[in-house]
Amino acid sequence: MGARMRLFWHKEPFDLEGTERLFMAAILQNAAYHMRHCDEYRCIAEAEHFRPDLVQTLPDITKLPLLPTALFKRHTLFSMPKWRIPVKATSHGTSGNFSRIGLDTGSLLAGLGMVLRMARTRGLLSLRPVNYIILGYKPHRGHHMAVMKTAYGSTFLAPALHRVYALKPQGDTYQPDLEGVLDALQRFSGQRHPVRFMGFPSYLWFLLQMMEERGMRCPLPPGSKIMLGGGWKQHYREQVEKPVLYALVKRLLDVDETEIIEFFGAAEHPILFTDCPYHHFHVPIYSRVLIRDVHSLEVLPTGQTGLVNLITPMLNAVPVTSIMTDDLGVLHEGTECPCGCKAPYLEIIGRVGMPDIKTCAAGASDILKGVDA
Amino acid sequence: MIFANGKIYPSDVQNRLLDALPEQICNTRETQTLRCETVIQALDRMSRRIAAGEFTDRVADPELRRQIGFAAGRLTQEALRLKVRTELGDHWEAPHASEPFPGQPTFTVQNVPLGVILHIAAGNMDALPAWSVIEGLLTGNINILKLPQADKGLTIEFFRMLTEQTPELRDFVYIFDTPSTDIAGIRRLASLADGISVWGGDAAVSAVRQFAPVGCKLIEWGHRLSFCYISGEPPAEELTALASHILQTRQLLCSSCQVIYIDTSAQKDVLDFSEHFLPYLEAAASMHPVSDLGMAAQLTLRRRVQALESVLSGEVSERRIFQGEHTSVTACPDSQLELSELYGNVLVKPLPRQSLMRELRKSAGYLQTAGLICPAGERAKLTELLIRCGVNRVLPPGRMSDTFLGESHDGESPLRRYIRTVNLL
Repeated sequence: MGARMRLFWHKEPFDLEGTERLFMAAILQNAAYHMRHCDEYRCIAEAEHFRPDLVQTLPDITKLPLLPTALFKRHTLFSMPKWRIPVKATSHGTSGNFSRIGLDTGSLLAGLGMVLRMARTRGLLSLRPVNYIILGYKPHRGHHMAVMKTAYGSTFLAPALHRVYALKPQGDTYQPDLEGVLDALQRFSGQRHPVRFMGFPSYLWFLLQMMEERGMRCPLPPGSKIMLGGGWKQHYREQVEKPVLYALVKRLLDVDETEIIEFFGAAEHPILFTDCPYHHFHVPIYSRVLIRDVHSLEVLPTGQTGLVNLITPMLNAVPVTSIMTDDLGVLHEGTECPCGCKAPYLEIIGRVGMPDIKTCAAGASDILKGVDA
Repeated sequence: MIFANGKIYPSDVQNRLLDALPEQICNTRETQTLRCETVIQALDRMSRRIAAGEFTDRVADPELRRQIGFAAGRLTQEALRLKVRTELGDHWEAPHASEPFPGQPTFTVQNVPLGVILHIAAGNMDALPAWSVIEGLLTGNINILKLPQADKGLTIEFFRMLTEQTPELRDFVYIFDTPSTDIAGIRRLASLADGISVWGGDAAVSAVRQFAPVGCKLIEWGHRLSFCYISGEPPAEELTALASHILQTRQLLCSSCQVIYIDTSAQKDVLDFSEHFLPYLEAAASMHPVSDLGMAAQLTLRRRVQALESVLSGEVSERRIFQGEHTSVTACPDSQLELSELYGNVLVKPLPRQSLMRELRKSAGYLQTAGLICPAGERAKLTELLIRCGVNRVLPPGRMSDTFLGESHDGESPLRRYIRTVNLL
């Protein structure tokens, strides 16, 4: 079994020290693989004088060619012929562009190990049948969004009785159907089977607000869980403080804060980050997180805000070994969290870019772009 | 929120209010006249109330409070009278006799309001929607304002206070928060208007052109770009002033410098200037730090993607970036006027004066301010040339955003566009 497979099936998902050599071996093999099989990756690596053998110990991972996710949105980079890639996924493209990512058979197997270990840390693996409410997209042919696949995948952690979706395909687009979700919620609330929510926090917030306006309460059966992930999508403005959301969940659904589990991940870094009971995203052994200075891209010490650089040896299909997201984040020492996990944890602070308001000068440039065309 | 009849209504009664609006507006037009002096007095009182803290006490953001304080200074009767006098002349409301001409009768000539003005305001400056309506009121018009999405509720509060204080203005201000996506709603508003005053970018202006009824006057205040033109050896204090203006405005205003043009056709001069100017920008950045992490991060990411793409395509960019700690100067071989990367990242381009006209005409209609640095003996000639190219303001580099009471806006007197002149015999 290769270093990657041993890493992803390692028993302790937060044993960073114990798996460091395994991680480094897997990274070295992964980078070398992409250099052999992806012309673009090799071209970039050579331009930056990178060679896989330069990566020996953990501090060397800063030398890996650093590819912004925006590059995957503008170019299709693959290290394998398409027929060898059984699962294709895209980022959900908040701004209209999306990355095309593929999962090769090896990474799917590796990913299975990871999902089982990570799900177990928050008690998500169960044989007891549950009703699922997916606050996200219903799978539909022709749609490859990674969030959709993750949400669907999560309905296998415990056997599914029913799956109800908040976003339903209608022609080429998706339409929200929160009324349908409320009907189902009332039905499920009276049953003895636990209910599991999975999806976007923004939709949970909208749903809870609808319930509150109508004076509805739906206490869920014991063992119910709420899994959240995928960010606030285009609803950044409505973003609420987590404690407010948790309190509303308790009041209207009677689910304790400890049963709310959040996920973090990206199509270009398909590592399942699950939060600890204090809702911190500790970095699991499959991944390393570096925070980089917004001007110089130099690696910053813990506690400082910068661009988030995510590193994993998981994928052979696409060269996402070391990617830089559009997020701004901070890495905290694991010891700052009372949960006992020693792995550092990642806090996402926001997104890069202009503040909401458009400047008049920026508006004028939209016009000028058309002038020469 | 909707503001009509001096009262605040929830957004969902929009259609009910719109049903009654045509009849209401006809009644107002038939029976009421709004005198300029009434408006000036009312606004002067508001300006004193704002100065006394009556309005700003509910605004938490100190920068916004400062902006409101500044705007209130423009509402005193002295300031408003100066504005009206400069743009429309004295006694503009009074009927007067036409110039006698042999063999022709003497007509009576009178300025009257356009009628109903729909204001579609942009969200980039908080006081802008209110200011647009104030210009409509000064000229005696009935004003319907479509609020920008980013409005923080202060516009409605301002007009609620104003109409409560001066009830004569009540039937002359309607404010709707109709979202830009509600095309049917906006069409209904437009169908009531004699003129549409639209602020904003390309998309906003062309959308209005789509739905404006034929015969409805369009009053467009589009976005503009500004630049600095340097001829000869620039004195250090002028460069300091330019750098400080760039950092102070963070290049976010229509009047901010995006491109520095050098009067040369030699790329070496452009490179030399870029290198020479970077320390000035860096010094200005230490005086006016740009603390926006998100913007810096976006720029860094964009540069990284550009660098990788040029590796992949094998094409070497002809632009050369002189990178400082917080700012940058990019030397370019082309002469096109374009938006910079903002926040202290300026472009430098060659533009010999022989090519000024031909190059700037490509940006006709989008030119606003030119900062001009040149030997004193050439100033008049170059100013004249820049104006002929279509530039509306020529100013010293550190004062590119300076304004004055009664100034023209994009080359026009706004109030003139809100009135019509009638002839009577």
